[in-house]
Amino acid sequence: MASLREDDDMNTRKLFLLLALLLLSGGASLAGETRYEMRVDGLVCPYCAYGVEKKLMALQGVMEIDVDLHNGLVVVVTADTVRFTDMQLTKLFNDAGFTFRSFRQIVPNADTGS
Amino acid sequence: MLDVKSTVRSVASALVVVLFVATAAMAHDPVFGPGPHTLFKNGFELAFNIHSVEAGASSENEFAAELAYGLTGDWTAGIEIPYLSVDQESAGNSGLGDIVLFSKYRFWRRDDFGSQTSAAVIAKVLTESGEDEGSPGLGTGTTDAIIGLTYGYEGRKWYRWSSVRYRVNGKTANGLRHGDKWMLDIAGGWRPTLHGYREPDTVWLLEINGEMVGRSELNGLELVNSGGTQWFVSPGIFWTLRNFAVKAGIQIPIYNDLNGDQSKTDFRAKLTFEWHL
Repeated sequence: MASLREDDDMNTRKLFLLLALLLLSGGASLAGETRYEMRVDGLVCPYCAYGVEKKLMALQGVMEIDVDLHNGLVVVVTADTVRFTDMQLTKLFNDAGFTFRSFRQIVPNADTGS
Repeated sequence: MLDVKSTVRSVASALVVVLFVATAAMAHDPVFGPGPHTLFKNGFELAFNIHSVEAGASSENEFAAELAYGLTGDWTAGIEIPYLSVDQESAGNSGLGDIVLFSKYRFWRRDDFGSQTSAAVIAKVLTESGEDEGSPGLGTGTTDAIIGLTYGYEGRKWYRWSSVRYRVNGKTANGLRHGDKWMLDIAGGWRPTLHGYREPDTVWLLEINGEMVGRSELNGLELVNSGGTQWFVSPGIFWTLRNFAVKAGIQIPIYNDLNGDQSKTDFRAKLTFEWHL
């Protein structure tokens, strides 16, 4: 009788441990980030590029941005739920005073492994 | 009866004001001449400008607050509110100067990897808000306008700008009309060290500024001691850190051909603190 109870306790602990692991892995995927690299022409001076930072950081899900003036790139880190389109980025960068050329995702999504 | 002497004095004192046209601070543009750069859409530019002019026995210090707004990525409009302190021989006066409304529309822009080339039209209205009860006066006493065209090339290492502007002046109630003015500017800039986005950045500037002023008129009669041509060489610096900029420069006269008996400009200086918000 006592050993059956001990077995039940062990199984219960294992079940809780399994549930905790599942929750943690689900939380990690919710906190996943995506990194985009955008090619933008006209990026010349740091002061002028501030408008790019303002426009991008105003978008929901955008977590951080950096401007690589030497290579004409804007690197954007977003939540996994963010999706960009060419039309959206063309307008955004035009409003900032520059010309958008292309973008690509440069860090695999943690969930899909793509 | 028209007081000719006081009218002529007002012309002389106004020359210190009229001959020095405050150029609205605008992002990465030269210190004294304009450039084609505009503010990003829905952005604000807040600037505080300090201008000083010395011309013989006359001097003027101007402290101006400026606010500009990006209507679109290629169109900016704003207002500049100046506070003047003017000294002319033994007389002095201080107070509100002529409020300036300005707008710039960049009608052409070509973006390439590592460079931007653009051109813009400029329009300004200089109101007659300057207090004119004291002597010397703090404004021109008229509503004046400036229109212009500016071109600029910006690269990672080198800059170049050119512009042409024309100022047309109104007429006071006493029948005084300051001469209209052509302004020509060319400028070059050099960034000695390439920095990243969040690092301090320095550009050295050198401008050539020319001003050609027509004779003033009093009830249709030209005033002898008015108008003329001046050219300046103007070294300057543009220092920035992310969204904050400091611009400074000095205009040194290199050629004067002023009509009649007038005080030549000794120098002009400008200091600007600017934020993009």
